[in-house]
Amino acid sequence: MPRPSPGRAHRARRLVGLALVLLVPLTSACQSSAEPSAAPERLSRSDAQATLASHPAPTKVGIHRVHGRLPVARRKVVRRQVGAVVDRWWEAAYLGGTYPRSSFPAAFPGFTAAAEQRARADKALLTNQTAGPRIDSVTARQRKVTLDILATDRQARAVTAQFVLKFDTTGQKTGTTTVRGRLFLTRKRGAWRVFGYDVAKGAR
Amino acid sequence: MGRSMKLVRTVALLAVLAVTAFVVPTSAVQPTDVSLVKIRHAEGVAVGGEDVIWILAVGSDARPGEVMTRSRGDALQMVGINTRTGSATAIGVPRDSWVAIPGHGREKINSALYFAGPRGMAGAMRNLIGIEPDYVMVTRFPFFEDMVDDIGGITVTNPRRFQDPYLKKEGFKQGRIHLDGYNAMAFSRIRKGLVGGDFDRSANQQRTLRGIHARIRSQAARPGFIERGVMTVMAHTDTNASPGELFEIAQAVAQVDPRRISTCVVRGRVGFVGAASVVFPDVAQARRLGREARQDAALRGC
Repeated sequence: MPRPSPGRAHRARRLVGLALVLLVPLTSACQSSAEPSAAPERLSRSDAQATLASHPAPTKVGIHRVHGRLPVARRKVVRRQVGAVVDRWWEAAYLGGTYPRSSFPAAFPGFTAAAEQRARADKALLTNQTAGPRIDSVTARQRKVTLDILATDRQARAVTAQFVLKFDTTGQKTGTTTVRGRLFLTRKRGAWRVFGYDVAKGAR
Repeated sequence: MGRSMKLVRTVALLAVLAVTAFVVPTSAVQPTDVSLVKIRHAEGVAVGGEDVIWILAVGSDARPGEVMTRSRGDALQMVGINTRTGSATAIGVPRDSWVAIPGHGREKINSALYFAGPRGMAGAMRNLIGIEPDYVMVTRFPFFEDMVDDIGGITVTNPRRFQDPYLKKEGFKQGRIHLDGYNAMAFSRIRKGLVGGDFDRSANQQRTLRGIHARIRSQAARPGFIERGVMTVMAHTDTNASPGELFEIAQAVAQVDPRRISTCVVRGRVGFVGAASVVFPDVAQARRLGREARQDAALRGC
């Protein structure tokens, strides 16, 4: 079997290297071109990472206790629906969107109108608003929700959702933030709505 | 040099550990691998469209076999909760107060429940204080005992020693005392051993309400505590509040700031209508209390 001459092998290696050098930025360009090209503001280096990185840790939703009687199938529905409400708030308030930013105009999906009004006054804790301008990316580390369900007549009437959310931030504000507490929900117009909260937030 | 560096390091480490022990609160966010944590806290509840909800709490004297919503209402407290500010108030009314009962002329206010049910009692209280309650909750004394036992008893501050030969022979001592269900009932019900009679009894009922609030507030973060409380309230009261509304009220109660609770008992003059001993309430004071508290559930004075 003929062996390639040393000169030819060297040339091949150089060609492969050149191709790689050309391909890497090309590939990167393809990825970034997936972003809307007409973005109104300059995106930071970590924008794509911030958006994508918010999902790797899935939310674990469990039931601590059902007070009253509730069929298993309905328990599952409550778990899924309430878990989705909590997730939507986390995404809107802490994990999703592009960073750095200081504006969180729609941070409380799933809250009643009155509770949203209250929550707006507590945005420093219930969103990333204060640290937002110094954050480049957010990565969820732990998302845990545990439910206590109040049921009468085999229907779920109210829920306390105990939660822990931990996420890492990069940028000027680098570290881990823990948000934990309770959300209080009742069913309004066929959907679970947050009418109250008791939340603590800490960073290190 | 090496030894002194080691000493400095050890001292610094000890200092950090000591500071950590004092600075990190035990009941707040506390990741296990943290040395120093800055924690902030926020709470809020919004019930319905209004900031203030009014609940008329009625203790019925129904005997076994009697319907508690068609008996006399012996304990009467109009309770307001401001979900925006965390303040709360209770306006107590002596049960013998001579008032207008809608559709039934003038009678003692405790008979409003007998004549016209919870709605009639709400009307009589509105006539006197000027506040229409959003909810009426009626319970009877044995049920009240069960509810207090279910939350693990309460602690009240008793301003003076008193006793009753039937309900509490050994009496209640002065100071902070822990009460189980029976004793909370006796503390709220005894009248004869009190100098101020019905007025002092109403004030004791307000001390009991403070004790219940303190217990709820201290336990509210325990998983399932509020849900269990709502279940026991549903089992032991007659109310126009739905389970979801009771849950909302309970969470609102848990967020009331104990420093922002104000209470007052409507004054009055003891007299007679025929042979019956009654209280002629100070209507002007009752209306003033209602005006003061209606918007924010806070009393400036009594």
